[in-house]
Amino acid sequence: MMTRPLDYTRRHFLGQMTTGLTGVALSGLFTREMLAAAARPPHFAPKAKQVLQIFCPGAASHLDLWDHKPMLEKFDGTPMPGGETEVTFQGKNGNLMKSPWPFAPAGRSGKMISTLLPHLAPHVDDMAFIHSMTSRTNTHGPGCIAMNTCFPREGFPSAGAWLSYALGSLNDNLPTYVAIQDLRGEPPNGKANWGNGFLPAQHQGVAIAAQQPLRNLARPAAIDEREDRATRAFLEQINAEHAAAHPGSDELRARMEAYELAARMQLTAPDVCDLSREPAHVHALYGTNDANKLKAAYARNCLLSRRLLEKGVRYVSLYCASRASAVDGLLNWDAHKTLRADYDRHAPIFDQPTAALLADLKQRGLLQDTVVLWCTEFGRMPTHQEGTAGRDHNPDAFTTWMMGAGVRGGVSHGATDDFGRRSVQDVATVYDFYATVLHLLGLDHEKLTYYHNGAARRLTDVHGHVLKSILT
Amino acid sequence: MPPRTAPIIRGLLLVVATAAWAADPAGVAFFEQKVRPVLAENCYECHSAGAKKIKANLLLDSKAGWEKGGDSGEPALVPGQPERSLLIRSIQHVDDDLQMPPKKPKLPDAVIADLVTWVKMGAPDPRDGAPLAARRADKSWWSLQPVPPLDATKTVDDFITAKLAENGLALGAAADPRTLIRRMSYDVTGLPPTAAEVAAFTAAYQRDADNAVRELADRLLASPHYGERWGRHWLDVTRFGESNGFERNFVIDDLWPFRDYVIRSLNEDKPFDRLITEHLAGDVVGKGDPAVEVASAFLVAGPYDDVKNQDVAATANIRAATLDDIITATSGAFLGLTFNCARCHNHKFDPIPTEDYYRLRAAFEGVTHGRRVVASEAERAAFAAATAEPNRRKTKLTAEIEALNRAVQLRAKAELTRRPAARPKIDPQLTEERFAPVEARYVKFVIHAFTGAPRGQRPASGRLVEFEVWSAGEGSRNVALARNGGRAEGARSAVADDFPEAYGPQVVIDGEFGEQWFIGSPAELTITLAQTETIERIAFSNAKGRNISEGNARGETPCEYEVQVSLDGKAWRTVADSVDREPWTPAHGIERLRREVITPEEEAALAALNRDLAQVQRELNAVPKLRQVWAGIYVPEPERTFVHQGGDPMKPAAPVPPASLAVLDRVTAAYQLPPETPESERRLALARWITQADNPLTPRVLANRVWQYHFGTGIVDTPSDFGFLGGRPSHPELLDYLAARLVQGGWRIKALHREILLSCTYRQGTAYRAEAAKVDKDARLLWRFPPRRLSAEELRDTVLEVAGKLDRSMGGPGFRLYKFTQNNVCTYFPLDRHGPETYRRAVYHQNARASVVDVLNDFDLPDIAFAAPRRANTTTPLQALTLLNHSFTLDMAQAFAGRLSGDPAAQIVQAYAFAFQRQPSPKEVAAGTALIAAHGLPAFCRALLNANELIYLE
Repeated sequence: MMTRPLDYTRRHFLGQMTTGLTGVALSGLFTREMLAAAARPPHFAPKAKQVLQIFCPGAASHLDLWDHKPMLEKFDGTPMPGGETEVTFQGKNGNLMKSPWPFAPAGRSGKMISTLLPHLAPHVDDMAFIHSMTSRTNTHGPGCIAMNTCFPREGFPSAGAWLSYALGSLNDNLPTYVAIQDLRGEPPNGKANWGNGFLPAQHQGVAIAAQQPLRNLARPAAIDEREDRATRAFLEQINAEHAAAHPGSDELRARMEAYELAARMQLTAPDVCDLSREPAHVHALYGTNDANKLKAAYARNCLLSRRLLEKGVRYVSLYCASRASAVDGLLNWDAHKTLRADYDRHAPIFDQPTAALLADLKQRGLLQDTVVLWCTEFGRMPTHQEGTAGRDHNPDAFTTWMMGAGVRGGVSHGATDDFGRRSVQDVATVYDFYATVLHLLGLDHEKLTYYHNGAARRLTDVHGHVLKSILT
Repeated sequence: MPPRTAPIIRGLLLVVATAAWAADPAGVAFFEQKVRPVLAENCYECHSAGAKKIKANLLLDSKAGWEKGGDSGEPALVPGQPERSLLIRSIQHVDDDLQMPPKKPKLPDAVIADLVTWVKMGAPDPRDGAPLAARRADKSWWSLQPVPPLDATKTVDDFITAKLAENGLALGAAADPRTLIRRMSYDVTGLPPTAAEVAAFTAAYQRDADNAVRELADRLLASPHYGERWGRHWLDVTRFGESNGFERNFVIDDLWPFRDYVIRSLNEDKPFDRLITEHLAGDVVGKGDPAVEVASAFLVAGPYDDVKNQDVAATANIRAATLDDIITATSGAFLGLTFNCARCHNHKFDPIPTEDYYRLRAAFEGVTHGRRVVASEAERAAFAAATAEPNRRKTKLTAEIEALNRAVQLRAKAELTRRPAARPKIDPQLTEERFAPVEARYVKFVIHAFTGAPRGQRPASGRLVEFEVWSAGEGSRNVALARNGGRAEGARSAVADDFPEAYGPQVVIDGEFGEQWFIGSPAELTITLAQTETIERIAFSNAKGRNISEGNARGETPCEYEVQVSLDGKAWRTVADSVDREPWTPAHGIERLRREVITPEEEAALAALNRDLAQVQRELNAVPKLRQVWAGIYVPEPERTFVHQGGDPMKPAAPVPPASLAVLDRVTAAYQLPPETPESERRLALARWITQADNPLTPRVLANRVWQYHFGTGIVDTPSDFGFLGGRPSHPELLDYLAARLVQGGWRIKALHREILLSCTYRQGTAYRAEAAKVDKDARLLWRFPPRRLSAEELRDTVLEVAGKLDRSMGGPGFRLYKFTQNNVCTYFPLDRHGPETYRRAVYHQNARASVVDVLNDFDLPDIAFAAPRRANTTTPLQALTLLNHSFTLDMAQAFAGRLSGDPAAQIVQAYAFAFQRQPSPKEVAAGTALIAAHGLPAFCRALLNANELIYLE
């Protein structure tokens, strides 16, 4: 973590360019000895060591899930003061529209939460809501990558990649950063959401899901185990001789180590991903056998998330829903026209499995070390979109929340105006969000930098303040 | 890596400031009493090394600081001339726009008088120790200085050996001929030599090494594969990607001509000043010459957001981001400066004012992404000639058909007024049809028209949310429901491969008013009931969420239809239809009655005309289309350009003309065009300015790239950043020498390659010497040739070559190692099997953004959101998994095995010749023989394809 220009090139070599052992050891995936040698301590004592990010793409409505607005109910059907001429992403807007689902107090804190999420409601006492989020873009693809990388365009590392780069792996037999996509497909802007950007490739999120194992992990069916073992033994032998003839070439050793680690991953990863090892009552808790195929699939991914965290995966990104389809709101939370039908479809997929995952993490003590982030790319309008019963995009207000290691439960940071149109109190940005996440992991967001094409890049660009009010 | 100048802290500065001030003790005393306290109190906050943020790049805490001056580029003080001293003028508030200290009252007159006196005294200043280490670059920055004239007496080796000697090092021993030809073959062509080539070169080398190397270099540089290898480098530099990125990420199928242009240009050794000009203005300088016109595709080869947005500010921001990509790509690739950092404020580290950024924008203001016809005048004329006659006939036939249709329609319209509808029009929310109870096992809903437009006028986009079939009598129930055993079949007009159930007909019998069936062609829904039932009613709806206020129909609803039933699925009987309903629109009614009123003669005439029209259309389709290329669309008179305050396009500030960049105005001739200059002239002017012979950046940046791709690291290790945050040149004189050579040689790079390839520096071995490594671990000083891993492309090409499967055909549309689905957005899935159509060189892979193809991206093929002027070089277990287990390796191992003949020992000898171009050792033969005996030849080949010796190059 460099702070001075002087260090740029040094860091450059260590992290980005070198073929030498030192550089390789900095990668997310490497051998135990090498990792020990290149231990990357945080800047200060961390509160959290791991991250679970739950992402509901499509701009999940703050007004229908988390942000209770009594005035919106009261003035339902009337024009929004000052909002008559507003043109947003898809065009003009109509009158204010209250949420089709009433809000109700939950937990000891009595936090008002939508009755659309009955299973998540009891968890509010552990959640720290950030009600005053804002985004710089009103478009899903740029919005999603901004919520992951802080930049509304491709090419920048996601937060998981930054943490892989900053802290490395906790388990050398598994990827450091795993992205779990929904059965329905990739989120808007696809793989750029878990990309390494300009960081070395080993920091990219590795796509694994209950429905989709790690690519090329399994030994090819056409090759039996004995042949595979013998082939690799021969390979090791010729590589060893080659390395012996080339002293001083660390990278040759490094590549041999990579093959050994690959072999260990082949043993470890299938075990971790094998959900059949879980007892029936756990499956029931998550809903992995639900009649709703989409819910069952997401539930399996929730369960997979817990198993990955348990085994020390540093950063798990779990997606609930996918990209924009030809029909708004069909495959994700983008309820432009038929809010009620859309969320009646999406919320039940999300609610119970997520609640089960949170309960399970808590009960197993995993929240001691894990911070959970709930994200979406921006919010929705308090009005209905002209001629429809849905809501258009609203980058000026949305809600995210955190819970777990280092996070105060049952609190809310910031607020939107009476109708939820704009964030007005303690306005927060994605920079603040990740400054806080990095802080929880013991990192100063202004010091975690990487040189690229003329700038010492940070996850938080040149912005960001730690949201101290939600920290323990 | 030679150490950089460390920042010198102020305390140190005061200590080293000693000798010089003895000369003028009175002056110094005046300074210490009257001047230093004033500067420290009023100026240092913003103008000293200790400042939190140095303003205007001006330092007043050292003599060197004011001598150098700040962003103005002039010294802050002119000793003896207070009236010409900016510092004095500013504290005197002479100029309205420069009043210091800012936001504070003017200094007392007595204080100002003291400073004036001091300047009149000649500004004696004892603070003349070592100059401050800059915290940012100004116009004296090394890369902005003119390139010194070429010293033709020098060679590349002179510079390298001199620097080595300074560090007590020397070049390593020369590489052996096999190592050298392998290195040079990969370096120049990206492909390994054959065993025969290695043998021939080795023999020639032993006869006359210099001559052999010269001949080899000439042969390789003349190979068409040279352009493929070095073109691939250039495509990295120009952020060439074949999809638009962002949310939609649609694949772009007609950008490959740019890739072929690059390969062709490099093979021709096209001068780079011309190549750069063509990149920026190929459509201008090459108008009518497709081979040149495609070059301006450079401008639009980056990612851009094409999602439509009704929000005005958002749209302006998207446009700004689109142009930012072009500005960033241009300035990085050709000038090696990060002008994009000056979008919101003056560059924080380089002397680039914000206006420079917007001057670049002014050059590109008329550029938009898109495809256009790129054809020669002759091709255009030939196309026009070939289509003229059929088009004439087409127009005539179309008119005749329209006239006939109009006549029929008029009669149908008259008939419509005579037939009042018996029943109301359909209701998209819910429409029912009742009929006499009938036994049915199958129910078919045959749709003739949708609410959008009557049949025949345009393709329908009909949809349906729910379709019900109700049994007769007591306890009537919807027997179509899936949960009652019903099954629905029908064509879809949309698919989502990653979500197979989407849009299918099964959603109309799920009992939920949620998802829609996207009705395909033929527009028929067939419901198979669990058993034969007596039914008396059907109902359909296209409303999502019926019974709630928000239930709106989306898309078009069936409005002209028949309901048919069958017991066996073969014989059908119509039990209900829409003919007596009020038509959805009069046009629907006319279309309905059209069939009744048309005469057989008219029908025959129409059929004949349509036949003729189809024939004409076939003729037209048979004429080859003029080629379209994704080469950008240019608006001749674009909008005015303004500086955007803080980078916000909604806050336009000062207007900006198309002009040269101020950062270089001291070293190369400037230009400024009138604001109304046509956009093509703007781009051309910029290109000419970038390629002016005395532009110091362009040749330095290009020469450095050439060096980098030969040696792995550039003389400047940040190849697209020659600014303050970039690396300093390890061999500045060598860089200038190469830059001068380049310009002198007419901007052709093959001569530069040749000089490098023939140098002793290049020809040395890779042998490791611990004592040298202690001084220079990474061999930046080149005490050995740095070994390297093959690039992603080299690796795949090599595996194909070793297996005897490489298809060397050049050019044309690329192949894909992914499949993709294109719904509202494109989604990419890496292929598990690579067929022979993918066996071409990897430079011909159609690199879509964010497609992540394991065999290439695992090995650091960048995802091209930005230019990748230098590739990462990682070693990961995922690479091992891919290269061991992907079916491509297995296929290649099989093919490789198929090339080997004789007994195992002979096979091993051949295999080593193919893979490594050397003889195996007896030990290697023994180990290989054992593996082959136990597990067969392919197992052995699979191991060789994974060997370090294959992927690491000395």
